[in-house]
Amino acid sequence: MSFERTLNEQEISLTLNGERVRAWAPSRMHAADFLRQRLGRTGTHVGCEQGVCGMCTVMVDGQAVKSCLMLAAQLDGAEVCTVESLAEENGNLNALQQAFKKHHGLQCGFCTPGFLMLATSLAARGEAMSREQIRDEVSGVLCRCTGYEGIVRAVEEYLSVQQAEGSRFRQAEGSRHAEGAQQAMEAQS
Amino acid sequence: MKAADFLYHRAGSVAEAVTLLDEYAGEARLLAGGQSLMPMLNMRLWRLGALIDVNQVPGLDGIEVEGQGDLEATRVGALTRYASLERSPLAASRLPLLVEMVRHIGDRQVRNRGTLGGSLVQGDPTAEMPLACLVLDARVRVESGRGGREIAMGEFYHGSYAAALEFDEMVTEIRFPRHPQHFAFSELTRRHGDFCVLSVAVTGECDSDGRWHDVRIGLGGVNDMPVLAEAASARLAGTRLADDDIREAAALTQEAIDPPSDMRATAEYRAHLVPVHVRRALQQLCSKNRAADRR
Repeated sequence: MSFERTLNEQEISLTLNGERVRAWAPSRMHAADFLRQRLGRTGTHVGCEQGVCGMCTVMVDGQAVKSCLMLAAQLDGAEVCTVESLAEENGNLNALQQAFKKHHGLQCGFCTPGFLMLATSLAARGEAMSREQIRDEVSGVLCRCTGYEGIVRAVEEYLSVQQAEGSRFRQAEGSRHAEGAQQAMEAQS
Repeated sequence: MKAADFLYHRAGSVAEAVTLLDEYAGEARLLAGGQSLMPMLNMRLWRLGALIDVNQVPGLDGIEVEGQGDLEATRVGALTRYASLERSPLAASRLPLLVEMVRHIGDRQVRNRGTLGGSLVQGDPTAEMPLACLVLDARVRVESGRGGREIAMGEFYHGSYAAALEFDEMVTEIRFPRHPQHFAFSELTRRHGDFCVLSVAVTGECDSDGRWHDVRIGLGGVNDMPVLAEAASARLAGTRLADDDIREAAALTQEAIDPPSDMRATAEYRAHLVPVHVRRALQQLCSKNRAADRR
């Protein structure tokens, strides 16, 4: 006989910031509330709860999404990254966070987790972007303090550094492959 | 706000989803991208008995081409997300108007989640996807426990936010005929990513002697659902889209509209804007064609 829970709740297993976690949540609970209230990750902020402000932006399976527009139950089996995943283990800010600090990309800080996660997902795409494209890509997070200029500059700097590192990484990968192929040929001969 | 309570089901197949829809007899709704449905639930504009999550149903996303020449068709799965359409080389070559219009939807996060089928079923009169599918003469494939059927986009709505679906039916695929040779899109929004004040999508074919035929003019945000301005299209058949043709056709678009007044614009303002934007879109259509000729 299978065990049935009488409450209208869902069991959710997910990978949160690289760590396997399991929790229950009411069916109607949205993912942002789930992250904050059930998993204690309060870095994800809740603003409008209707998909307009972008405060609750997190990455689900590598894509930036508004977590108030997903159900907690939809995170079952997913890989989720929140702003808590960014800083280094010793507490130092990562390159993106440092760029926000350097360019005054925040004042009150309420929108910052949303921008940071959106920018992280943009960097993962590995595409070069003009300032105009960046403005378009980050338009789904609202900031009432900065006027966006510092945010756009910070994201621009971070993306250009990531892109350069990405291409160095790809070149290194390429040369490793070439070495491997050469070794394989030598082994054959 | 938080959504009112509902039961949650994760469907593993189309058959399971439509069985659940049938069992709830209109009290359930399918959850696809959730970019319109979830805000409505959170704002308690809607209370549902159950949500049936179809995001895990295999085979509902993707873009496929079939047939050749005039019989060529492009099939897009209902669960295909906007971001997939934006980045698909196949969509870019087969459905360029659809892809151009996708870029006007919401913002990055919305386009990462939202789906083509979801937008059609939502039936927002200002939305880009219903207008694109209407102008491109798409047909919508729906399934239910009683079998499947296809609905032409021209017959897909009863009214605003009211798709012509029975409660046990589920959209699975959108089928596009061969894409028109030329197209143009014009939209007015108050703010970036906002619901539009109005939108205009035009398509057409141009003969080697410069005469146009099969010109279609679609209008969004100026009626309960996207509409085709048929009298205006008829006025353009066989013309060279000269300034007089365009001006007269643009004036005829008034016959097709019944614009609403809301916080974004009054009905009078929308009625004024329609011919202006139709004229611009037709001029763009014409100049794109000339640019293509020079290449």
